[in-house]
Amino acid sequence: MKTKWFKHTLLTVLAVAVAFGSVSAASAASKLNGKIVINGSSALLPLTLQAANEFKKKNPKVKISASAAGSVTGPQSVRKGIADIGACDWDASLDVPGFKAFDGQVANKVAVIPFAAVVNKGVKATNLTTKQLQGIFSGKIKNWKEVGGDDAEIVVVNRAFGSGTRVNFQMKALDGTNFMSKGDNYKEVKSSGDMKTAIETTPNAIGYIDLVYVTDKMRALNINSYAPTEANIISGKYTVWAYGYYMTKGKPTGAVKAFIEYVQSKEFQNGSLKKLKFIPISAMKN
Amino acid sequence: MLDVKASSGGGVAGELGRSLHTRSGRSFDRRTRLSFYNRTFKVICIASAIFVCLILFSILFLMGRTGMLTFNEVSVAEFFFSTEWVPENEQYGALVFISGTFVLTALTMLISVPISVLVAVFLAEMSPRWLRTLLRPVLDLLVGIPSVVYGFLGMTILIPVLRDITGTNIGDGLLAAAIVLTIMVLPTISRISDDAITAVPKKYRDASYALGASRFQTIVKVVLPAARSGIMYAGILGMARAIGETMAVVMVIGNTPQLASALFQPTAVLTSNIVMQIANVPFDSTWNYALYMMGFLLLLISLLMIVAIRMLQRKGAVS
Repeated sequence: MKTKWFKHTLLTVLAVAVAFGSVSAASAASKLNGKIVINGSSALLPLTLQAANEFKKKNPKVKISASAAGSVTGPQSVRKGIADIGACDWDASLDVPGFKAFDGQVANKVAVIPFAAVVNKGVKATNLTTKQLQGIFSGKIKNWKEVGGDDAEIVVVNRAFGSGTRVNFQMKALDGTNFMSKGDNYKEVKSSGDMKTAIETTPNAIGYIDLVYVTDKMRALNINSYAPTEANIISGKYTVWAYGYYMTKGKPTGAVKAFIEYVQSKEFQNGSLKKLKFIPISAMKN
Repeated sequence: MLDVKASSGGGVAGELGRSLHTRSGRSFDRRTRLSFYNRTFKVICIASAIFVCLILFSILFLMGRTGMLTFNEVSVAEFFFSTEWVPENEQYGALVFISGTFVLTALTMLISVPISVLVAVFLAEMSPRWLRTLLRPVLDLLVGIPSVVYGFLGMTILIPVLRDITGTNIGDGLLAAAIVLTIMVLPTISRISDDAITAVPKKYRDASYALGASRFQTIVKVVLPAARSGIMYAGILGMARAIGETMAVVMVIGNTPQLASALFQPTAVLTSNIVMQIANVPFDSTWNYALYMMGFLLLLISLLMIVAIRMLQRKGAVS
């Protein structure tokens, strides 16, 4: 009896000792390695993950953990010190509609994100001017026949306030005019994925989305007669695009700096980044 | 080593007694050890209980305190009685969401409770034994389906169907959400009501039949009233699930902050609005606090419901 009891105690003590030992060993090891935490825009997440994988292969000692919520969480996490890099669809060091500038943060351009106004496949209209887009998204134009389509009511699908895609679409495609916020044929969705489903399944629907998400069940509209293609964006004819930024607290240093430089490098920009349907920043002249 | 031999022969009680008798006077003998184990176990149990309570109270405290910060910028009257929810213009009227939650829950209950009670009556009173043993596990399985599955099916199947039937343009709205929620809470309500009806003593039915009542009369006038508190308990449990449901609702309600004047007008409820916006709000903003306040309201509502369930249970136990 006594020996058994003694064995149990001994085992427990040993287990506890081992557990503590391994914890302290792990924390000691992580101090030696560089560690990068990335949070923010879900539009940039595919790019970030791809870059992280490639970067880790070259620098096995650096640990990178990336996650995404909404664009604004990026600069917010950086301000709170939770993340080293905040991915954001707009330059968060400046004021944009609805969001104040984040002081003391540096915006590092990493990619060009094209956006497209998209409609359900059944919609006949193929081209809209900025004026027409403003009218539709503010609720003044209510029927497709007013803009060259069939006689059917327009269903407007919008992203919720705070979405980076929404901020960019409002600035670039609507010249800053306000969205409608009520109506029988108006609904809001919470992510790019939901936007995709809504446009695909709702007849007469119009919305907007990152070009990456456009499928063959929906149609990307020409805006002011120009299609959303890489060539039109680079030549400046299609204006609805935005830079994606990595926000950092002050100028980036150490592992963070190396990572951002890798993402900005020619090798990554012209390789994996292009494959993911983003456009290299070096392609833009302005 | 004496007690080892003894214990292998006798029972547990004998072992304890003997070991108490053969106290050897050493500092860590069997008795000290036992009392040490007992005391440690007690302390661990109490600590776990305290831990759970602490979590609950700190959640309540955090939600409440953060939520109350809303009222630094927004008046209480505006928050509860204004329908203007335009955070970008500093307007934080949550009436749309509060009333949306109540209307949606009422509508869900209106559809689901009658159907559930009928299902329960069928299960408990009418179905043959083999069907009953088949159906009960099926309903139990349905309870466990994740809500996001219901929401997804609602968005991809139910809404196009509703759109075709009614000829509306969107199809999102209170009715779509209520139907999805009904499908979700139906198994819960009918299973618990089923148990309540089965628990009604057979002598009640025998007495009713002896008086010449028909089967319908027996069920409506005797069995259902006797199982009333159990059925209400089931209803409240279903209601609590419907009120807190988020994922299924957010996919079919349309998420537009406007008071719904029709069943097919996109609108929003407390849960759907929180999940839509919480990822995109600045941390230290009135907007964020207002969302916390809405979460706090939800918490209070579900706490009230749990209290109601407790009271019903006690009442059921007394009568």
